[in-house]
Order: sequence, then structure tokens, then C-alpha cells
Amino acid sequence: MASTALPWTTPFASLGDPSPLSHALGEPAWLADFRQGAAEQARLVSLPNRARHLWRFSNPERFLPNQDPMELVPAPAPPPWRLEEDLAAAVLLSSTSVQVVHLSPEAQRAGVVVAPLGHAPVQEFLGKAVPPHHGFLEALNAAAFRPALAVLVPAKVRLEKPIRLRLVASGLSLPRVLVVLGEEASAEIVEGHVGGSKGSLVLGVTEVFVGAGGELCYDLVQRWELPVTGHLTSRIVLGENAKAQLALASFGGEATKVDTGVVLAGKGAEAETYGVALGTGTQHFDHHTEHIHAAPQSHSNLDFKVALAGQARSVYTGLIRIEEQAFTCEAYQENRNLLLSEEARAESIPELEILNEDVRCTHGATVAPLDEEQVFYLKSRGIPHHQALRLIVYGFLDQTLSRLPEKTRERIEALVAGRLHGEVL
Amino acid sequence: MSEKRPVFALENLRVWVGEKEVVKGVSLAVYPGEVHAIMGPNGSGKTTLVQAVMGHPAYTVEGKIFLNGEDVTAREPDEKARKGMFLAFQYPVAVPGVTVASFLRAAVAARRGHDVPVKEFRQELLRRMEQLEMDPAFAGRYLNDGFSGGEKKRLEILQLLMLQPVFAMLDETDSGLDIDALKVVASGINAAATPERGLLLVTHYQRLLNYVQPHVVHVFMNGKLAKTAGPELALELEARGYDWLETSVGGGA
Repeated sequence: MASTALPWTTPFASLGDPSPLSHALGEPAWLADFRQGAAEQARLVSLPNRARHLWRFSNPERFLPNQDPMELVPAPAPPPWRLEEDLAAAVLLSSTSVQVVHLSPEAQRAGVVVAPLGHAPVQEFLGKAVPPHHGFLEALNAAAFRPALAVLVPAKVRLEKPIRLRLVASGLSLPRVLVVLGEEASAEIVEGHVGGSKGSLVLGVTEVFVGAGGELCYDLVQRWELPVTGHLTSRIVLGENAKAQLALASFGGEATKVDTGVVLAGKGAEAETYGVALGTGTQHFDHHTEHIHAAPQSHSNLDFKVALAGQARSVYTGLIRIEEQAFTCEAYQENRNLLLSEEARAESIPELEILNEDVRCTHGATVAPLDEEQVFYLKSRGIPHHQALRLIVYGFLDQTLSRLPEKTRERIEALVAGRLHGEVL
Repeated sequence: MSEKRPVFALENLRVWVGEKEVVKGVSLAVYPGEVHAIMGPNGSGKTTLVQAVMGHPAYTVEGKIFLNGEDVTAREPDEKARKGMFLAFQYPVAVPGVTVASFLRAAVAARRGHDVPVKEFRQELLRRMEQLEMDPAFAGRYLNDGFSGGEKKRLEILQLLMLQPVFAMLDETDSGLDIDALKVVASGINAAATPERGLLLVTHYQRLLNYVQPHVVHVFMNGKLAKTAGPELALELEARGYDWLETSVGGGA
């Protein structure tokens, strides 16, 4: 089929028709239709430009593919994954394949579904949390996504062990993850991004829905190889009295832009976002978080910490929005940045949109260099310079990580320690 | 004692803060088993002296610092500490996110040159904490974060006991302590005053010296040691203050 010329200049000349892709993946008609609609959106949504709010600090051109995203380019098989912890499910996603590595008998018996997105009953959810018109890159993802995974946890099922997703970057990948937790279900899902090489670009979208009374812990852990560029958009939508804990950890990648958030759509919903980022060299991080209070008596808390060495750069924009009808809400936000070198730079921009009076809301942001008195104190006890810096950074980040459940905390702490020893300090 | 080598010595030590000379030539020697006290009015630069000796990066130092006979003047603070120098801070710094236990384990491993097994370390830590009447829960708290003045001072003494230095400087360790806490801290200092070790107490008041008996008392004023004598000097200072010594150093520099 003919591809349509885009009305603006992009590194790629055209956005092809999605039907061959849909056909090749054996997708049902509703999904093919969704892609078609998204491709039309992609032609309407304007290309990100630096005048637009969320692109003030990151050059959008870094995130545009240099090929037609519809093209099916074969990707190398991801390296095998040896599971080291007891899991409810494990799924390995490369830029072209979805492989369910493990599904525990308990999860199977409980009716948990982990399947390619086209093979799961998720039509009513797809595109509802991150619609194609969210932005240009989200529209591209909606039209051309693969690999794509759906995770369904039926109502009242409480998974004791986590579900781990490992997404391996290579070439251009447009992964999409859709998670639905039924009413009063509970689960922890770890979305881990790894791999990649020079020229790898990841444009990912994750949508998560938590039914009334459900409890979710979602860990978004990015540890790409250094040359990777990636843009990850995710939204968690909470029903009445549902709870979500979002753990963010960004370590790798040359340029990473994360647009994540929780929509507290049901009365009494609770959201907590705890995150850390650790960068060095010329790494560029751009994190945007949103806590959208759309229902009364909803509570949210956010604590995001960034430590930068070398010439690394970080931008954080954090939006708290409390809608008109969302009375008696509480929302707290804190972002602190620690600079370990003269050349590292960080910006922190809190954004509050509060449309009713009956709220409690606070926010705080700091950017500070390393405290030389702390370094001297630790060194005066015999601790060598670099170890002293590592202790300080680890402590700085760990104050936030300590708010997470123990297992989650330990997992991320190990990554922080590894990265501190490996590359940052 | 004189046939022994001093555990610590300063040779004409001068210290600048930027352009300003704060310590104007101090020489002294501390022999094994000796407790020295440096007394002086507020603002006389006592803290600058000990921080500069430890190697604080804000100061420029001239002269020589010897530890166990070795010239350590140019050494980094962590090297000095591993060789056995210790400074109990007047205002210990908080390091949020780092627990007392993990900090102490790293420090002990650095000082001893090898890791200490967790169980062994823990037993030693708990024993020392009990000695200083510290709640074991203390070990899990963030280093000096939200600590009261007394808690900070106890923690400094705990470190002194855990790190077993060759020579320790204690900067105003008595300040901000109530009488019960002072007794506990003083008993910790006395426990640290072994025949092999040298101690240097920096203090404004004579109060601590009622509990820890010094062998030598120095008065530090206007960047110099204005007087050095036996323990009776501390009592004299308590009675007469520092003004009477002013004339004896006024002229020179």
C-alpha cells in the first residue's frame, strides 16, 4: 500500500501503512483498526518542537527514528535470560519478539494472562491511558508498536511474587506494555529495559489499569547500554480506593526521556512515586512525572532523586494537577539533585495546577553540589575519597529507596551500588 | 617517657584560611600514654588547628605533622586516619541515608585494612555501644542525622573506641553535654587513654578535665601556644580566665 508523505520534515520520509505489520503479526481486526487510526493521528499530531513545554530541555530530533517505523527489520535474538529469583511470570521482549520465559503454576491456576497484546482481550483498554494523540512519539508507537505484551491479573488474585518483563533494546524498537489488574487484585511488575548498542532507539509506551481496591507496585528500571536513546511514556490509571507504588530507576542510555504518571481516577485512590536517576559522562536525562487527581479524597506522594557526575545533565518537571471536583486531596512532591562535578547540571521544575481549594499540597526542589564537609568527615575516618563519595551518593538515593517495599528496594539498591562502582565514581 | 618516640608531634605548624594566618607556629609532642589538653578562649582557632592537622581542604598548612615518627603533613585525611590519626569533631556532620552501622563498618575495615565479618563486627559494635549507654537501635539510624548534641558526641567516642587510633584529637567533646552524658563520654575517653595511645583534648572549659586527667595543659591564644604546664594550669584558667595571659603573647607576631 502507498505510504503517506508527512507534512513536515522528519529524518524518515514517510510513515507506511500499518496493515502489513498487523498482518505479519497475525493481529485481530480491532487491533489493525487501532493502528490505522493511530497512523492517521501521527500525521495530525505535530512534531515535537522545542517551543512545546515538555521539549524545552531535550532536542526532539534525538528521539526521531531515521527509518520508517513500519518497516519490519529483523533483530538479533536477545541473549538468554537466566532467572535468579522466584517469579510469577517472566517475559523477554526483543524489538521483534515476545517470549514468555516463565509462568508459575500458581499464576496459571489463578488465570493470570501474559500474552502478545493482540492475543489478549484488551480492546477496551488499549490507548485509553496513553492515547495516540498524547504526542508524536506516542502516536508512532500506537501505529507501529512491537513487541507488545498484555498482562492481565483477574479480580481478587493477589500475586505474592513479581512479574518481570525484560525489554532488550536493539535497532529501533517500539515496545508497548498493557497491564490490567482486576478489582482487588494485587501484583508487582518490574519493567526492565536493558541492552542496545550504538544507534539503538527505543520509543516505548506502557499503560496500566488498576481496578477498584487493587494494589500495584510498578518498577520502571532503565539500564540501557550507554549509546542508547530512548523515550518511555507510561500512565497508571487507578480506580476507586486503588493503590499504586511506582518505582523509577534510570541509570543507562545516552539520552533518556521519561514521561510517566498516575491518574487517580477513582475516589480514595493513592499513588506513590519514588525514583532515582544516576548519570555520568555526557548522559542526558529528562524525567516528567504527573500525579493527576481526578477524584476526591485521593492522595499522592512523590520523591525523586538525581545524582550526576561528569558532564551529565538532568531535567525534572513534575506536575501535580488537582481537578475541580477532586475535593479533599493531598499531594506532595519532592525532587532533590546532587551534583558531583562542576560540569554536571540539573534543573528541577515543579508544576502545580490546583483547581479547587480543599487540598493539601506541598512541593520542594533542590540542586546542590557535593557537601565537602561530609566528604572530609568520612575521609577523616579512613574511608578513601571515592568510597566516601559513593557512600554519600548511595545514602542520598537510599533515603528515597527506603520508602519502597523491601524486595523492590534491595533490587534497586543493588543496581545503584553496581553502577556506582562500575562507572559513575 | 622521654626515651620513647612521640606518637604525635607538630613542628612549627602554621595554618592559613585564605590569606589569614590563624595558627602562627605551633610545636608540641605527645608521647605514648599522655593526655594533653589545649585550652583557649572562643574564636582562638583551636578547631582550625585540629581540623588542619587532620587535613581539612579549606586550610593551607606549613610546618610539619608527625604521626608515630612519620611525616604525614602532605597526606590526605583518609591516609592519616588509616595510619592511626583520629579527630572527634566538635560538630559532626550528618550523612543522611548512610546508617551508623554501615558507616562504621566501612571505617573499621579501612582502618584495619581488611573487612570484618558481619557477626564479629556487630558483636563488637553492640559491646561498645553498651559501654557508652547507647540504644542498639542507634546503629540503624542515619549518621548524625537528627541526632541531639549528646548523641553526636557519644557517636564520636564510639568511633574512637572502634577505630583504635594511635593518636586522637577530641574537639570540644564536652560541649553541649549534660552532667550524666559528660560522665559517660568521659569514661569512654578514659577507656581510650591507654599506655600506647596519645590524646589531645581541645576544650574551652575545665569541666571535662574534672573527669579526664591531663598530663600536660597548653593554652592556645592568638595562633600560638601561650603557655604549657601541668594539670594545675587548667584550674588556674578556670579561676582567672584567659586575659592574664594576653600580655605574654601580645607583642611578637
